[in-house]
Amino acid sequence: MADDKDVLRDVWFGRIPTCFTLNQDEVTEREAEPYYLLLPRVSYLTLVTDKVKKHFLKLMKTEDVEEMWFEYEGTPLKWHYPIGVLFDLHASNTVLPWTITVHFKNFPDLDLLHCPSNSVIEAHFMSSIKEADALKHKSQVINDMQKKDHKQLWMGLQNDKFDQFWAINRKLMEYSTEEGGFRYIPFRIYQTMSDRPFIQKQFRPVSPEGNAHTLSDLLKEMYPAAIPNEGEQKRYQVVIHGIEPLLETPLQWLSEHLSHPDNFLHICIIPVPSD
Amino acid sequence: MSSCLLEEVTFHRCCQMLLQQSEQLRDGWSWEPVQGSQEGYLRKTALKSAVISSNPVWDLQGSISDSGSHTSCHSGPDEQGEEKDQSVLVASVDADATNGAIHDDNDGVCMVSEGSSQVLQYEYHIMYSCSYSTPVLYFRASTLEGRSLSLEEMWNSVHPNFRLRLQNSPFTTITQQNRGVHEACAASSSGPTQATELCTDMA
Repeated sequence: MADDKDVLRDVWFGRIPTCFTLNQDEVTEREAEPYYLLLPRVSYLTLVTDKVKKHFLKLMKTEDVEEMWFEYEGTPLKWHYPIGVLFDLHASNTVLPWTITVHFKNFPDLDLLHCPSNSVIEAHFMSSIKEADALKHKSQVINDMQKKDHKQLWMGLQNDKFDQFWAINRKLMEYSTEEGGFRYIPFRIYQTMSDRPFIQKQFRPVSPEGNAHTLSDLLKEMYPAAIPNEGEQKRYQVVIHGIEPLLETPLQWLSEHLSHPDNFLHICIIPVPSD
Repeated sequence: MSSCLLEEVTFHRCCQMLLQQSEQLRDGWSWEPVQGSQEGYLRKTALKSAVISSNPVWDLQGSISDSGSHTSCHSGPDEQGEEKDQSVLVASVDADATNGAIHDDNDGVCMVSEGSSQVLQYEYHIMYSCSYSTPVLYFRASTLEGRSLSLEEMWNSVHPNFRLRLQNSPFTTITQQNRGVHEACAASSSGPTQATELCTDMA
């Protein structure tokens, strides 16, 4: 039987085969070949696509190059969302590899944040971890850590070092036994069909009576349409890291094992594909 | 770090009080409800002219280093620094530190450079964060053409004394992020602690 710790590794090492093609309106000196890459689900686009940039810049003049950005089927891809979330939300039921279009012009300021350097990604990542710990531990664990520990979390993600990351992150996953779990579960529920980018609210892992809340309990509160009534056909898939966990799974367990490195449980609700 | 928390109900009450004051002062704060919910946030936009300079280089004593030929100027009596051509709305919400920084500037640290004056649009949102149980200030500065200031340029515009204090916090206080409610408004937010201090002062 798989150890729970194996789940942590499976989540960390999840990959999405991706094909990057250059937007055909970009000006190149010769035809651009696509570039193939296995993208880490738990990382961020701008952190892992240096090779993509180098590959296409070889074909372009400096004056034709501005900040690189990515798009899938007309939708600009938000680099500050984890890669796996972007895929599950926009492309999960399509044929692999995931085909992403690369742009070097006309940066969509209204849709995307600029990302001039890795320090911007680091600031965003650490800000998310900080917020997650505010929910879990009233920020006590993160604030008790030294700067070098914070740095180690970031370096672990940046350099794809599971052990380095989890040596520190395990402290953010602890809780006292009498409490039975975190104070609140850090989660975000994404859906493409709404104006609101995501749902995030306070939700406890344990009920006042002491029962463990499940994924189903969370969805009943936050997105009831995702749970079909008896006899009704399922209209939505509830996807975390590309899989549909059983709705009876305890939320505390999901938070400890299926969170992203930013310590948030990112949940995608997507319409069931109509074949 | 302050452990002061604010209930959402108290936050709403403080907002109503602020709005009453704002109406008397006519300084432009409004309440924006969120469609389909009881939530909302405070909003204000302002146009300010600022002297745009290239990277101001500060040393820790607050003077301009020799390599820099420009300096930044405050664009308003109660706001920090000035931003460049790209957007990022950043504001100080710690009144004491702001006053301190302005005082330092008046002591001659801030020198006005020759540069073209440009009108920037500032947009401020104050929302309640259920994660932190405090208000969070979101802000953005952009040119009239709509181009926003970057995070780096925003940091460049923060007075060095105040910047030092912010950067000594456990995390960089000012971070770039999309707003949870209106994601198109790419903005920066100041740390929740500072925002709480401001709201407590107002309450």
